[in-house]
Amino acid sequence: MLFRLEKRQEPSRFMLYATPVASVLLTMVVGAIIFSLIGYDGIGAVREIFFTPLTNAYKWQDLGVKAAPLVIIGVGLSIAYRANVWNIGAEGQYIMGGLAGTWVALATYGMTGPWILPLMILAGVVGGALYAAIPALLKTRLNVNEILTSLMLTYASVQLIYYLIRAPWKDPMGMGFPQTRLFSEAARLPTVIPGTIVHLGVPIAVLVALAAWFIMSRSVFGYQMKVVGAAPHAARYGGFSENKTIWLALLVSGALAGLAGVLEVAGPFQRMVPGFPTNYGFTAIIVAFLGRLNPLGVLFAGIVMAITFVGGEVAQTTIGLPNAATGIFQAMVLFFLLAGDILVRYRIRRVVANPAAGAA
Amino acid sequence: MDIYIAIIVTLVGAASPILIAALGELVVEKAGVLNLGVEGMMLVGAIAGFAGQYYTGNPYFALLCGAFAGAATSLIFGFLTLSLSANQTATGLALTIFGTGFSALAGAPFSARPIELMRPLFPLELATHPILRVIFGYAAPVYFSFIMVFAVWYFLKKTRAGLILRAVGENDLSAHSIGYSVIGVRYAAVLFGGAMAGIAGACFPLLLTPQWAERMTAGRGWIAVALVVFASWRPFRLLAGAYLFGLVMTMELYAKAGGGPLSVIPSELWAALPYLATIVVLVLISIRRDASSNAPACLGRPFLPSN
Repeated sequence: MLFRLEKRQEPSRFMLYATPVASVLLTMVVGAIIFSLIGYDGIGAVREIFFTPLTNAYKWQDLGVKAAPLVIIGVGLSIAYRANVWNIGAEGQYIMGGLAGTWVALATYGMTGPWILPLMILAGVVGGALYAAIPALLKTRLNVNEILTSLMLTYASVQLIYYLIRAPWKDPMGMGFPQTRLFSEAARLPTVIPGTIVHLGVPIAVLVALAAWFIMSRSVFGYQMKVVGAAPHAARYGGFSENKTIWLALLVSGALAGLAGVLEVAGPFQRMVPGFPTNYGFTAIIVAFLGRLNPLGVLFAGIVMAITFVGGEVAQTTIGLPNAATGIFQAMVLFFLLAGDILVRYRIRRVVANPAAGAA
Repeated sequence: MDIYIAIIVTLVGAASPILIAALGELVVEKAGVLNLGVEGMMLVGAIAGFAGQYYTGNPYFALLCGAFAGAATSLIFGFLTLSLSANQTATGLALTIFGTGFSALAGAPFSARPIELMRPLFPLELATHPILRVIFGYAAPVYFSFIMVFAVWYFLKKTRAGLILRAVGENDLSAHSIGYSVIGVRYAAVLFGGAMAGIAGACFPLLLTPQWAERMTAGRGWIAVALVVFASWRPFRLLAGAYLFGLVMTMELYAKAGGGPLSVIPSELWAALPYLATIVVLVLISIRRDASSNAPACLGRPFLPSN
């Protein structure tokens, strides 16, 4: 054997932050090769997916709008994953947040007043948190795996959308389309930059990331999450309750996913439609990992993933690349990142051929 | 009478792919590896099986395509988690995201192009009588799933190789110190799980809906993962669990078809029922006793011999 892995005394901080960058760069190189091999314009695909959204200033507003939900959900997931709580049903909590907000918007239809939007947002946050409370309850009381329950609830929530917009919430003027009516003015999220589509959710996302960073690095809560995740035995010895941590992790990640959901339905959608589940909840899993489970890292990772979303749409129209290609690029980023993790904990040592050592 | 026969036939068709995928995952988990990418591997198997049938018209070749594609996909998981000891939960999720994207990309040219459903294994004359239809009226994957229940049970309980695999899953360090290749055994298990997931995925276009649709496995891979927990890692209990789910899904189909007492409940609730039932089942199993007590001791833990 020519190379050998050697465990580092301490995880390499350099590698911890270098590997996400390297994995994005590697995805571009390998992605270009693979897409060329299967008959697409590989270099064009990488150019359109990773660079056009940055070089074309007209696309920047799309970036912000796509990054906002990814960052908000990703921040929540990064907190949960830090505590070793595997909430992968953020998509369902996002949907429930959107539905709770829709419920308020429809109940206040035609009314005006500055209280409607905050009430919707509150409903969305509570809706997401309550939906995440189901896996939390089952995990803490009965030790039911939260991965499976949170995911199964996602599939169920999609059906709930279909039911609500087909029957009780259906737009009476919608000519039979399964969708709710367009929200009144007071229930729509305002834009923050006039003349663009950049809505209030974008600055909220930045605030969420900054606040989470501050809380995770400065407060007992953040310390508890990290300790329980990294060293459960030590945490128990130190008096941190594992069950309380599971509850907090799921409620916080659910609430943030719900927040993203209500901002999305009140912002870009302005009504509930069958196409509301846009996989932000799943992509945010990649965002959380790419951001190294650090809220500031998640902010950058959310922008990177938003670039691939916007770029994927560009590539669809300019070079005819199917939309699914975006998912492959996103999964590749995560694969390379996970593969690169070994460099954080190990160093590669060259082994000089030495028969005496080899015999041992 | 006929309606009951039809229900049983539909039920068996719905249960078989889940059973096949779950049997594969059971062996993987018995080796101490948690591969959450079943859904992704199934989707890759589904598009490979579809393409195999579309180009050759030979469903057995199509199933082989599915098995091969599923195994190839599982190799990504194996390399990352076994050779590079990456986090198994995260890698499994990544595999599902990858499989979803890959199958959608590969399947895009095939949309709205029907294929031929796989025919029953036995000659139609055998299945003319309703009772005989219940026994002889299915395509090959259904019988394959039964055989594999027994084969997996026999392998794990009665063979030396099965004993080694269980040892690797229960105590990897001991297995390693006796001289077994932990990584090698786990690679083999992961590849088997991938092939089974691939076959299960290929069943969707070959047995259920003869066309390609994005995400056509609709979360059945995740249900297969849940069933392994439900079955406490026992093959015959897996059989019971898969048929329970087959029944739920069959009721959904009949409710959607309209008529009868089933259609009082909104069709969306029926569609959500398999997922809600999964949760209920997981709850029941954990109330009855500590569900994790029977889990392989090394499940999900990376193996690091030299450190």
